[in-house]
Amino acid sequence: MRTVTRNPAVSTLERRTAPETVPASAPPPRRRHHLSRWAGVAFVAPLVTYLVVFYAYPLAENVSMSLHRFTRATYVTGEAPFAGTDIYREVLTAPQFWPIMQQTAIFVVGSLVFQYVIGLALATYFHRHFPLSVLLRGLFLVPWLLPIIVSATTWQWMMDADSGIVNQFLGAFGIDPVWWLSADNSLWAVMIANIWLGIPFNLVILYSGLQNISAELYEAAALDGAGPWRRFWSITFPLLRPVSAITLLLGFVYTLKVVDIIWIMTAGAGSSQTLATWAYGMAFGKGTSAVIEYSQASVVGTILLLVALLMGLVYLAVQRKEEA
Amino acid sequence: MNSTPTPGRPHGRTVALLSAAALTMSLAACGSSEESGKVTEIGFWDPYPQYDDSSDWAKYVQSCAPEGTTIKRTAAPNTDLINNLTTAVREDNAPNVVFLDNPAMPEASASGLLVPIDEVGLEATDADANLAGPGTVDGETYGVPVGANTLGLYYNEKVLADAGVDPASITDWASLNAALKKVTGAGHQGITFAGVPGEEGTFQFLPWFWGSGADMSDLGSADAVAAGQLVSDWIGKGYAPKSAVTDNQSASWDLFLAGEYAFAENGSWFAQAATEQKFPVKMMPIPSRDGGPAPVPTGGEFGVVPLHKENSDAHYDAAKEVLDCLLGSETQIETDDMLGYFTATESTRKQQIASTEHYQPWADAISSAQGRTTDLGTGYLATSAALSKAEQAALNAAGDAGQVEDAFGAAAQEAKGN
Repeated sequence: MRTVTRNPAVSTLERRTAPETVPASAPPPRRRHHLSRWAGVAFVAPLVTYLVVFYAYPLAENVSMSLHRFTRATYVTGEAPFAGTDIYREVLTAPQFWPIMQQTAIFVVGSLVFQYVIGLALATYFHRHFPLSVLLRGLFLVPWLLPIIVSATTWQWMMDADSGIVNQFLGAFGIDPVWWLSADNSLWAVMIANIWLGIPFNLVILYSGLQNISAELYEAAALDGAGPWRRFWSITFPLLRPVSAITLLLGFVYTLKVVDIIWIMTAGAGSSQTLATWAYGMAFGKGTSAVIEYSQASVVGTILLLVALLMGLVYLAVQRKEEA
Repeated sequence: MNSTPTPGRPHGRTVALLSAAALTMSLAACGSSEESGKVTEIGFWDPYPQYDDSSDWAKYVQSCAPEGTTIKRTAAPNTDLINNLTTAVREDNAPNVVFLDNPAMPEASASGLLVPIDEVGLEATDADANLAGPGTVDGETYGVPVGANTLGLYYNEKVLADAGVDPASITDWASLNAALKKVTGAGHQGITFAGVPGEEGTFQFLPWFWGSGADMSDLGSADAVAAGQLVSDWIGKGYAPKSAVTDNQSASWDLFLAGEYAFAENGSWFAQAATEQKFPVKMMPIPSRDGGPAPVPTGGEFGVVPLHKENSDAHYDAAKEVLDCLLGSETQIETDDMLGYFTATESTRKQQIASTEHYQPWADAISSAQGRTTDLGTGYLATSAALSKAEQAALNAAGDAGQVEDAFGAAAQEAKGN
């Protein structure tokens, strides 16, 4: 999945090295030209090796696994008959496929929208320095610093249907207790926890984006009589666009692959099953997928990969438009 | 997963930790001696991560190392153990001996991860047929039972007395439901059990499922639906906590230990802990629908010998020595006492139960307990997964009969498709 974000890095590297190699290939001694070319290869080699070993090879293996029928016995016998697109067809026509796609979409889009909006609101809020603002901003990072095993377990307790603090709180306003972790509601439960978890990330990146907007712009706008609302929509929001784009892209990839918080809270039961938890359960024989289904898990993995890749392309397109 | 004896073990929740453990384990496996000739470092894996290297259990295992060798023990939860074993066998650096959870036996042996014990020179023990059953797959015996545990219905005597319920009156589902009604009516809580998705949830559901007269070969039968309706109603009527859908056996035990619940369906590995509470805890066999004790599933591990390609004879010799030492007929009691298990052989179990008072109510349950995989073999895991989904749906239905029936119908379809 990360290859997506690697691509721009590679291309900027190529762009940067390109002008240097051109003068080097000019008249002077031939030997030097050869040397510098070898030096270039030597410098690029570690990166390429790294990419091949840690990205290209596992990704190729994943795709190959999704085309061959892998079972536990494959590890001993090495036999994995080629299945072509059969396994893809099985997964895509499985009765749970479309509901899980839909749940994944709701989970990702819902999480992103709320994380971004709340993160941006907090970032704007903290942009105006006031006493204790640094301390308060630090406190907002707590969700990020806590191990997920701790925060997810705590959310699970807080959302207990019979004695959880969330329901007690709602009860104080006369709202009936909600069975948060039931099959129907579990998607909302894990989404709330995931939004809470993602706010600090959005806050930090957007806050640093705000630091780069020149204060003079705000002063000039204020002199022209623009109110705070107008300043936000005409200065802050448009100038934050590049930062917002990368925040949303990274957030999208992070959210798409979330397994831990969902698994700890519900083990992917009911509506909280997403593509990522489904793949995890099948790959390791956990939850209600007691039987190992490596190939099916690889199919879902490949789908996740394609979706993330697609988002990467969207990001590149947006970036290109910004630069133009 | 069902059989780990103490509440201190990691839950299904600790996913992140587990993957880390899995990684360390596969690295650790590389340490075992690969050269031909005598094996000097014997690999031993067990699913008891709650015992660390300084524990009595670790020292006890170490004491079984044959002269001139050391045992390298590695512990990981059951669900990870078989995955780690799969990759280790592939790399030919599997441990010499593994204590493998019994429902994993058919899959592990059918996938070629294990060697039949007669090839290693071990003889089938005189273990009871119901407890040794899961170790035999397609007529070959792949494992020696380590010991056994099973499920019972613990109850809080104080709560029952307060609500005016006589425990002796509970003999079938109707009387159990009547007791639950009385207890909750008196301001107490009803019953805790583990309905967590997966094998652990199925393990806990089977006494009701089998006790209803249902059979794993037909998940959609009227008897199966009746069992689903029983637990579904408990949620609907508020007899059981809604957290049962995510509770594992440790979590549901913790709820019971708070002292407000009248009943807890849980394992014999808590028999010792049950004697140490502030309130009096007793155990009764789980009742079947029409009266009498319900058939309960057996839990517990098997001592197995993973496949080795190179220098296999030396590896298997080492495995035989260690297994003889840990599970031989003289030492079995000591091993099982240490793990909180019953021995798998009737004669030694009689001694064990006679000398331990809190084991006495369990005597009949363990003798009549059934192996989970004995009937279905390799088909068990898929059927169990379908049953777990049906139970989850039933619990979520909170009493709605139509939804319960649909859930078990769907499970029957799914099980047939596999």
